[in-house]
Amino acid sequence: MALMQVSDLTMTFSGITAIENLTFNIEEGSITSLIGPNGAGKTSVFNCMTGFYKATNGNITFQGESLINLKPYKITQKGIIRTFQNVRLFKNLTVLENVISGTHRVTKQSVLGALLKYPAQRREEKEALKIAETCLETVGLSEKKHQLAKNLSYGDQRRTELARALAAKPKLLLLDEPAAGLNREEKNKLAEHIHFFRDKFGITVFLIEHDMDLVMKVSEKVVVVNFGGKIAEGTPEEIQANRLVIEAYLGTDEDEGGL
Amino acid sequence: MGFENKRTKFAVLAALFVLAAVLPLFLDNYTLNVLWNAMFYMLLALGLNIIVGYTGLCDLGYAAKFAIGAYTTGILIKTFGWNFWLTLPVSALVSALAACVIGAPTLKLRSDYLAIVTLGFAEIVRISARNLDITGSASGINAIERPYFFGIHLTKISHWYYVFFALVIVFIIISKRIRYSRFGRALAFIREDEDAAQAMGVNTTLFKLYAYIAGAVLGGITGSFYAVKMTSISPGSFDFTQSANILLAVILGGMGKIPGVIVGAAFFAIFPELFRDVPFVGNMRMLFFGLLLIVVMINRPQGLWPEKPVKR
Amino acid sequence: MFSAWELILQQLVNGLILGSFYALVALGYSMVYGIIKLLNFAHGDIYMTGAFICLSVYGAVSGVLPGWTGIAVSVLAAMAVSGLLGFLAQKFAYRPLLSAPRLSLLITAIGVSLVISNTVMVITKSQPLFFTSGLDNSLGIKFGSITVTYIQIIMLAVSAILMISLTLFINRTMMGKAMRAIALDQDTCALVGINVNKIIGLTFVLGSALAAIAGGMACVYYGNVQYNMGYMIGIKAFTAAVIGGIGSVPGAMLGGILLGLLEALGTQFLGSSWKDVFAFGLLILILILRPNGLLGRSEIERM
Repeated sequence: MALMQVSDLTMTFSGITAIENLTFNIEEGSITSLIGPNGAGKTSVFNCMTGFYKATNGNITFQGESLINLKPYKITQKGIIRTFQNVRLFKNLTVLENVISGTHRVTKQSVLGALLKYPAQRREEKEALKIAETCLETVGLSEKKHQLAKNLSYGDQRRTELARALAAKPKLLLLDEPAAGLNREEKNKLAEHIHFFRDKFGITVFLIEHDMDLVMKVSEKVVVVNFGGKIAEGTPEEIQANRLVIEAYLGTDEDEGGL
Repeated sequence: MGFENKRTKFAVLAALFVLAAVLPLFLDNYTLNVLWNAMFYMLLALGLNIIVGYTGLCDLGYAAKFAIGAYTTGILIKTFGWNFWLTLPVSALVSALAACVIGAPTLKLRSDYLAIVTLGFAEIVRISARNLDITGSASGINAIERPYFFGIHLTKISHWYYVFFALVIVFIIISKRIRYSRFGRALAFIREDEDAAQAMGVNTTLFKLYAYIAGAVLGGITGSFYAVKMTSISPGSFDFTQSANILLAVILGGMGKIPGVIVGAAFFAIFPELFRDVPFVGNMRMLFFGLLLIVVMINRPQGLWPEKPVKR
Repeated sequence: MFSAWELILQQLVNGLILGSFYALVALGYSMVYGIIKLLNFAHGDIYMTGAFICLSVYGAVSGVLPGWTGIAVSVLAAMAVSGLLGFLAQKFAYRPLLSAPRLSLLITAIGVSLVISNTVMVITKSQPLFFTSGLDNSLGIKFGSITVTYIQIIMLAVSAILMISLTLFINRTMMGKAMRAIALDQDTCALVGINVNKIIGLTFVLGSALAAIAGGMACVYYGNVQYNMGYMIGIKAFTAAVIGGIGSVPGAMLGGILLGLLEALGTQFLGSSWKDVFAFGLLILILILRPNGLLGRSEIERM
């Protein structure tokens, strides 16, 4: 069974249909991409998967359990971790604290622990710190861990967000346009990271991306949407040869591919 | 460098501690009372700081939280003859319950709605206190008996100076522990970006409620001590101006930064004393604060206390 | 003696008057909230300024222009001063913070409120000022043993005319349409060439002028002005705006009238010392049960 199944997903905002009867699967251990022209409804799919939007119709299951009507934090607690299109770090906190936020999901201590600082609390604090440090090292940001997130360069902010997601030990990692605004070198690094996350930690990756280079380089499966519905699905090679996909992109005025 | 820094910091704190501890030996009662008042504001500001500074919730009715504590203790001592120390847990519990009742349904609302609900609730508390028999109506509760502490009857101002000094230290430790814990960090995430906090698995509504309760309990405890120190409480001490003063102390001082909050509170308590007898200026105090607030918000929304320098 | 029904009728009239004051102030709250999502804490103080200016100007002109003419001139002056004050607050205190977190904006509004009320406090030396209009308050239409005075009738009529004009303005004129458009999407408005800052400024001027009229009428009706009178009506008007659905212009009117009536009845049945508890209790209940108010539309939760 697929790790995540999206079936007949429909989402309407006050009369406008953003997603229509969308069905696809994300296989465990795969790297899958969702592509489509601007306004095709990609981010809406993402927001439905993570509980930020409420689907009008259809179902989304994760490991066989339905995610419909769950709050975002509940979905995160199940191991589905997302990043944001327009990087949303905790700006006035340090890089390290940002990354520790990922460990919230895998730790437990609360008010009493904070006040009494008993051994379990201390142990967990150390553990969280260790996880965060490791994740920072993985993305190569260890030296900047004490800087405030808002003072980082854009590329570093993106990497911090990756480290933060990684610290949550995701089963499924959802990346919303992770390459946006990165230069060629940073993109290559990103592709490496995505592969590394999957190969080393067994994380299933699902990404929305405009950057065709990246999509074709990392994906094993590509799902193409336009006007809220699926128009194609297949390996990168199949998609590149698909007439509908080419039309969807060339038929619009947008210049999105491969830049 | 880090080591030296820490040592300097420790030395400064130790010096401050010793200074504060020996001060009552040299000062007259009036000055001690001013200092006591400053510490009283520090306690309130530290409590509110958890709600406003740590979590970014706007509470315009913090006076109600310490009113609840003060009246709980006042009523238990006067009407039911309880020992002061035994009223403390009850006061904490009542404060927590009140925070739950008002917070649980409203904390998921828009942030500015919360501001107005807290304000409305504070008015309800104040008006109720003014009209109910058990709270002594407009004249309040008077001649509350002062407690004993290990055989010492706490009657002198120097006694209260030390009691509140100890409380300030306890509140600072609590604040620090909260800030550097999973709980406190979750509050910071909520303050910075609620959606991102949710995306990292933080149950934002629940943690906001915890923060709100924590702030209310600290306020309630402060209120209890206030009641026995003053020996009389009345609705006039818990009006909107009081809430506004505490809020301003937190915001101007530091928004989450403990030393900033302390300095802010001290400023608010001592400043009016300095200008009390100066004609004209004394009256313009709040006018000046208002202007300061606008200027600070526009130029330094993080408060006046400086950012931590980056550690290398 | 009054019969029970006459007492209730009397309270209803009082409630209507109070309600129209609330409604006029609530309109400013609601329009500003609708357009820049600011809970303008200083709005009650703008109302107070209106009352204060009205009283001061009438004191100066009543010798030459007694009665309604003088009052009209004073209210116009109050509208001008309050409108200007609202505009200045918007320009210098709020505009620099439009993209800042909402908490900063709210706190700035508290700052503006402190500045306005304490300025008047310093000028009036914390003393209440009393207003004598010289109008005969006994003339009116009799219903049994109670009288609805001409003053009351004129105030209700003025409020009604203002609310109708405002509705027409917002629905029929380009300016009004621009205001509604900005409330929906500021960036797009800027793209299609609407001068967003100008319209926001206009909203403040309009809201403040309405509050000033309410302040002026309250000054005539109740006969006194005090520097801190804006605080309570500010919260009450906000309550009214929330009851009606904040951001909604007809909602603010409905909410204001409703709150005024409920409060009058609350005074009748619970006693005047509890009437504020009643109003705030209502606010909290509405926020919990129907956070979008009676006429407000639910916001689509988008990120």
